[in-house]
Amino acid sequence: MTTKAKKSRFLRNLMIFLAILGPGIITGSVDNDVGGITTYSVAGARYGYELLWVLIPAFIVLLIVQEMNARMGIVTGKGLADLIRENAGVKVTFFIFVGLLLADILNTTTEFAGVAGSMQIFGVSKYISVPLVAIAVWALVVKGTYRVAEKIFLVFSVALLSYIVSAMMGHPNWGEVGNALIKPHMQFDFEYITMIITIIGTTIAPWMQFYMQSAVIEKGLKLKDYKYTLLDVFIGCATTVVVAFFIMVACASTLHTNGVQINDAKDAAQALKPFAGELASQVFAFGLFVASIFAAVILPVATAFYVCEAFGFEAGIDKTWKEAPQFYWLYTAIIAIGAGIILIPNAPLVKISLLSQEINGILLPAVLICMMLIINKKDVMGEYINKRFTNIIGWTTITILVSLSMILLVTSLF
Amino acid sequence: MALVSTFYFSRIIGNKVYAQSGGTIGKLKDLIADVDFVRPKIVAVMLSTSKGVITVDFSCFTIEKIKGQYRLECSELNEYKQDEKKNFYLTKNILDMQIIDMDGRKLVRVNDLKLAILANETYLIAADVGVEGLLRRLGVAKPLKEMLKPIGIALPSHLILWDDVETIGFGHAGIRLSKDYSNLEKLHPSDLADIIEDMDRDTQIAVLSSMDEEKAADVLEELEPGIQKSVLENLPLDKAADLLEKMPADEAADILDELREDKVEELLKEMEEEASDDIRELMGYSEKSVGSIMTTDYISFNENETVEHTIKELRRLKPESDTIYYLYIVNSFGKLVATVSLRDIVVSEPETKLNQIMNSKILYVLDEDNIESLNEIITKYSLLAIPVVNSEEEMIGVVIINDVVHNLLKNRRKRT
Repeated sequence: MTTKAKKSRFLRNLMIFLAILGPGIITGSVDNDVGGITTYSVAGARYGYELLWVLIPAFIVLLIVQEMNARMGIVTGKGLADLIRENAGVKVTFFIFVGLLLADILNTTTEFAGVAGSMQIFGVSKYISVPLVAIAVWALVVKGTYRVAEKIFLVFSVALLSYIVSAMMGHPNWGEVGNALIKPHMQFDFEYITMIITIIGTTIAPWMQFYMQSAVIEKGLKLKDYKYTLLDVFIGCATTVVVAFFIMVACASTLHTNGVQINDAKDAAQALKPFAGELASQVFAFGLFVASIFAAVILPVATAFYVCEAFGFEAGIDKTWKEAPQFYWLYTAIIAIGAGIILIPNAPLVKISLLSQEINGILLPAVLICMMLIINKKDVMGEYINKRFTNIIGWTTITILVSLSMILLVTSLF
Repeated sequence: MALVSTFYFSRIIGNKVYAQSGGTIGKLKDLIADVDFVRPKIVAVMLSTSKGVITVDFSCFTIEKIKGQYRLECSELNEYKQDEKKNFYLTKNILDMQIIDMDGRKLVRVNDLKLAILANETYLIAADVGVEGLLRRLGVAKPLKEMLKPIGIALPSHLILWDDVETIGFGHAGIRLSKDYSNLEKLHPSDLADIIEDMDRDTQIAVLSSMDEEKAADVLEELEPGIQKSVLENLPLDKAADLLEKMPADEAADILDELREDKVEELLKEMEEEASDDIRELMGYSEKSVGSIMTTDYISFNENETVEHTIKELRRLKPESDTIYYLYIVNSFGKLVATVSLRDIVVSEPETKLNQIMNSKILYVLDEDNIESLNEIITKYSLLAIPVVNSEEEMIGVVIINDVVHNLLKNRRKRT
């Protein structure tokens, strides 16, 4: 093959890749929402570099799970909610979707908490920022400019890279960082294990699975695009984990070293000021603001859509209010409740955030079990059922998650 | 004990099945229906027993209602031989799946099924797609109903008679209720397009492939651009090309504009040359020029033809209603010289020559003209169609008011 032919083939492959690019990367970006940023900041501030290693298994599991979603979407052309309803029946569907709805309402609340917190750093009261953002987000979907917004936000998600800047400004000890990353540190106390579960739970949030699969379908991907999709998924997962890594490093190198304890992402932004400077604090807050709006736009509409899909109500942003009343009312209710809770003076935000993580923690194994059962069905997947290797990792993850959750449940009872 | 006349499938699924002696045989897993009747008739039962799943004939089966619960009895276990071609399973193929509500013209999900016993035979008569069906499956419909009764709220229930139901794809199993979707062809293409947009990809392809090509092309024309693209990419090449041939050239060119170049080339090569040449020509125009929205299907005659001949010709061509009102007179060099209205032809004597009744004061646009100026001319003179000529004044197409409206709507959609 001549160099010219090689080059043109490379270019062609690159073009195809860029056309297919998207689902994995969008999903990866939304994954770093307020819940994520909070968890990584708190983990970094409390345990320093000690928990960095968790990101490696989290990355592997995330990759395996998202690959399965992409494959299910490509092969069946159906959403995960559809597949669960059609294969697991009404009762399981009901349990999963009530859980999902509950968790996502609380998640939306934390996204609005992120909006409130980050705007506070810039001196804007939450009684102004939250209602404004809530109305803007609601109008975005109801007035039908959601698609455009999604694309704009994808560009904005580059702002998440600001965490790399924040991390650099804290002058971390890279030797220690590298060491912590490759040498797992295990500690058997309640708080440490909770932190591990929370990190994994927030990285592999249940609703992301639904979102990923729909994104693949919407993009109209086909089997011949599979290898590019795989690359897209890989980049998306890597983005999630790399951003998580820098957030943890930023908080570990400044807050942990100086013994500052924090409860949420806003605290982290505020606490960074004396150690890394005003700019680092504002950069951190800006990243938080973008992440929370991005997720506040996507999460409520996605949740309303999956719930309607599973129970057979008409849904979709291209439908009118009259055609899909359940969808729009649900959507409106999620935003109203989410934003409403934030506006209550002295709302127990930390508790809400923890509660949403716990529900996610219970929901995740349930969703994963359904996925594993469906993806191994020949009726549904034909020849594209799971390979043995994927099955082993899948079931191991589920076992570990379930047992860790069990340990937590038992220890929290006593 | 009470005689059962109608019952919901969810009320018997998973129930114990007793032998005549009173002992338990197993649990009801699924029912098998036969489509060779006016309504699907239940012909067999799948039971999960301690020795695995067995399929037995339904004829020895009785259903009784005792104290509000259904008691299932099976007097004889005769093995049932399944016939893949005309059998389907209620749980596996229908329950929880999507069906088309022909009456409401939309895609719905089946929450429960209603069956009826008539002269000792059991038939599937309706699909329950309402909230009540959903709650019944969860086992809370009755208590909830009682609770809501005092405050005057009724659970929304929604039954669709089986006559108004069209089932769609059964996944990879490859079986279908009816051999085609002939029922669907009764719907208006726009309604059908709305339904198809809500389906998953494989079903979209299956439904479109099974329809009559003319109808499928009409539906394809009405689909959203994104779905048109995905359908054309997923249909077998020859089928996709056939559908494009059946569409007006300007619509086909619009759709092809959205596809990847190599795919467009493949499709055009597969099409008949006459059709693909027209499309290629149209695709060459910029998006803002008149050429991009014109259609090359127009009717033209020589000025020396008689009215009689013209009418004969029209009978042979059977043009669509939107192109028949304006007929164009073109000279031997292909130049546009006049128009004749359908009215003038109809009211003239058969031997009249076209040049006696034609109107040579014609309005026309150039193919490279801007669409904006076209819109102005069409509104100013209240035209239904306007001829398009190239720089040599040769007639190459017409723009119909429909295309103008379509284009305006498309641009408005793009802006939002």
